[in-house]
Amino acid sequence: MTLVPLVVAVPLLAAAVLAAFGHFAPSRLDNAVAIAVTAAVTVISTVLVFRSSDETIHYWFGGWRPRSGIAIGISFSVDPLVASIAALVGALATAALIVSWDYFAERVPPYFHVLVLVFVGAMVGFVLSSDLFNMFVFFELMSVPAYALTGYRIEQQSALQGAINFAVVNSIGAFMLLTGIGLLYGRTGALNLAQIGQVLSRGPADGLVIVAFTLICAGFLTKAGAIPFHFWLSDAYAVAPAPVCILFAGVMSDLGVHGVGRVYWDAFSGVFARHAAAVTGVFVAVGLATALFGALLAFVQAGLKRMLAFIVISHVGVFLAAIGLLDALGLAGATLLVVADGFAKGAVFCAVASLARRTGHTDELAAHGLGRQLPVTRVLFAVGGVALAVLPPLAILGGHAWLRATFVVTSALTGAAVLRAGARIFLGFGPKRDPLLVAPPRGEEAEVPPTPRAGALLWTPGVLLLAAGLAVAFAPGLAQRAADQAARAVDRPALAAETLHGVPAPPREAGGLSPVRYAYGAAAGLLAVSLAALGLYRRRIPGLVERPLDCLKLLHDGVVGDYVAWLTAGTAVLGVLFAFLLRDGP
Amino acid sequence: MSRTARLALFAGSGLVLAALLVWGLTGLPAFGDFQGEYGWILNDVAGSERHVTNVVSAIVFDYRGFDTLGEEFILFAAVMAVALLLREARDERERPRDEVRSEAVRAVGLSLVGPTVVLGLFVIAHGYLTPGGGFQGGIPTAAGLLLIYAAGRYRAYRAASPQWLLDAAEGVGVAAIVAVGIAALLAGGLFLENVVDLGTKGTLASSGTIAILNTATGLAVTAAVVLLCHEFIEEVMYPE
Repeated sequence: MTLVPLVVAVPLLAAAVLAAFGHFAPSRLDNAVAIAVTAAVTVISTVLVFRSSDETIHYWFGGWRPRSGIAIGISFSVDPLVASIAALVGALATAALIVSWDYFAERVPPYFHVLVLVFVGAMVGFVLSSDLFNMFVFFELMSVPAYALTGYRIEQQSALQGAINFAVVNSIGAFMLLTGIGLLYGRTGALNLAQIGQVLSRGPADGLVIVAFTLICAGFLTKAGAIPFHFWLSDAYAVAPAPVCILFAGVMSDLGVHGVGRVYWDAFSGVFARHAAAVTGVFVAVGLATALFGALLAFVQAGLKRMLAFIVISHVGVFLAAIGLLDALGLAGATLLVVADGFAKGAVFCAVASLARRTGHTDELAAHGLGRQLPVTRVLFAVGGVALAVLPPLAILGGHAWLRATFVVTSALTGAAVLRAGARIFLGFGPKRDPLLVAPPRGEEAEVPPTPRAGALLWTPGVLLLAAGLAVAFAPGLAQRAADQAARAVDRPALAAETLHGVPAPPREAGGLSPVRYAYGAAAGLLAVSLAALGLYRRRIPGLVERPLDCLKLLHDGVVGDYVAWLTAGTAVLGVLFAFLLRDGP
Repeated sequence: MSRTARLALFAGSGLVLAALLVWGLTGLPAFGDFQGEYGWILNDVAGSERHVTNVVSAIVFDYRGFDTLGEEFILFAAVMAVALLLREARDERERPRDEVRSEAVRAVGLSLVGPTVVLGLFVIAHGYLTPGGGFQGGIPTAAGLLLIYAAGRYRAYRAASPQWLLDAAEGVGVAAIVAVGIAALLAGGLFLENVVDLGTKGTLASSGTIAILNTATGLAVTAAVVLLCHEFIEEVMYPE
């Protein structure tokens, strides 16, 4: 119980102390402190996974428990699903900080570690919070350090441009979120999610409820990078230092979808109960489009960081569709995917960091054959690539066969992109030129000066992350346990009674899981290898594919005004869809 | 996308979004008809439970104190972010020149330094008694310090606010807020729970932890504003 606030308090306290006295500390001490703190966050969060497995922990800050069913304070609600995402944040941050030890050629200013620690505390707080306004506070708190860390390479124009695009688009997303919260408060007079859910479920799904839901979804989906809210993401991830990308790609984007899931289940699932199928339709459609679009664009990138950025987008689509199934299996699968896939994406970014430090390149064509001297990085990259293909279909526990088959294709494309790049870089396969691929802009790619001494500190964290990811994905019985936990998390009335009145929610069991998911996973792995070979050795591109791909590439022009126009359009379309689909009759 | 296409997309979708917003706003309760119990409950209990005469401060620093902790850190992170992004060439550049030529401006400006700082400290100190508090009082306190530069000499301003002191004040200010939370855990309570004597309502010695959190906030906000202005002053004076 006492452990709950510490996962947020300890990194924030360490950040404050480092800011106050870090300038006097010997070189590297700040990095060491940050590693110790994030490792502690990982351990405490892991303990919380087990502590909360029998009953959800509701932690009321300041001791302000609800009075006669009315929440007057702020609460965290910790169950094994959210605690495992918190553990993922801690583990990825530990890995990122270990990688940064050898990655940067220059002395890193202490602000860097301060900001990483704030970022970690904010993400953990966002995951655990069950208060809507508190979620907004942590949403903002994880945005500010992220903008700054993106622009870390201040001497590069593109780094500052990426950070500005990130900040502008996400700030507008945050306004949407805040407006939605304001509307809900006007209706319900409550900020606690369970309480909002109780009040909303007694009334109709009218304009206010629908518009508030639209704005909240738009805010969270901007952070997640679902289309058409995603344009900032590839600009930002391409320029952020590789260690920072481990955190961005590994978990930050996924937290946006977590926000959608948490707010839907706790606050809106009652009032929209009659329209659940329509909500599923919209979320699955957006998820599918995002998954497909991200996968196609990932496959045509030569720059590894942009490629991984589009892979993140593609997998966010899978994650959103899984949440959008609106049942316990969907939520459980989504959480499994976030954790296992987050580890895998982090591991591949470790390999990219190792490659960049050793060769000075993160461009598949420019680095052709340069990675031959990196045996461990090579294996890490290859296994990571296969994992990126296999894990998403493996984690989809429910849904129609056609949906799962589509995700087999999109995930295979994302894995194939990594495998193709790996074969070029680490094995020297394939031609050195490829007209299909988009080369990164000049100057964006050379991030750190190459050094022959690329230490084990760069790839060891990656190996451990990948092992953790595979363990989560393949641990026998884990998916079933996640499904049982998720069954408890989606029972809104029982959870609200537990949060507000202290009535323990009964344990739940989800249905048994079909082992067919392993077949989907295997199919995606095989397809990925074939597509990678096709990418390397095909002679020409069919015009039918090339023309639309060129249009897609052109949309990502780096002009922030365009991105804002797309964000507005996306919100408007979402709102119109919800208005027609979710409104209760007169 | 061309300029026209962008404007068309934005104008079209913006109109739809505006219509949606209006539709949503019509669902709000009529003026004076708000039914939320949250505010009423806090209004009823804050004075007796927390010994404050300014209920807002009890909400900000206690009932929803955990939000405030997050918001403090947003400001803190913003300062660290600016320091990281503007880190180039600090201390290598020439100091900003002193621009004030008029003795009258100098005399009036500098004579306002003391009163402004005292006003800021007053607003901070009485946060739980009257409207005001750490956030509101931190700004005038910082403004008083900045007057030394604006009306006087940059060198004197930097002497009054050396970098190490600002860094320490900013870090200690936000660290103190987390420390109060952890102290409650050590005393056997929940995070940020009040574990000290509540004192006499209506006096400076009242409100328990709110007084500590309020003062720490004042310190952090003052340091944050001065640090931000310091970064911007050096950046703006000498563009590349």
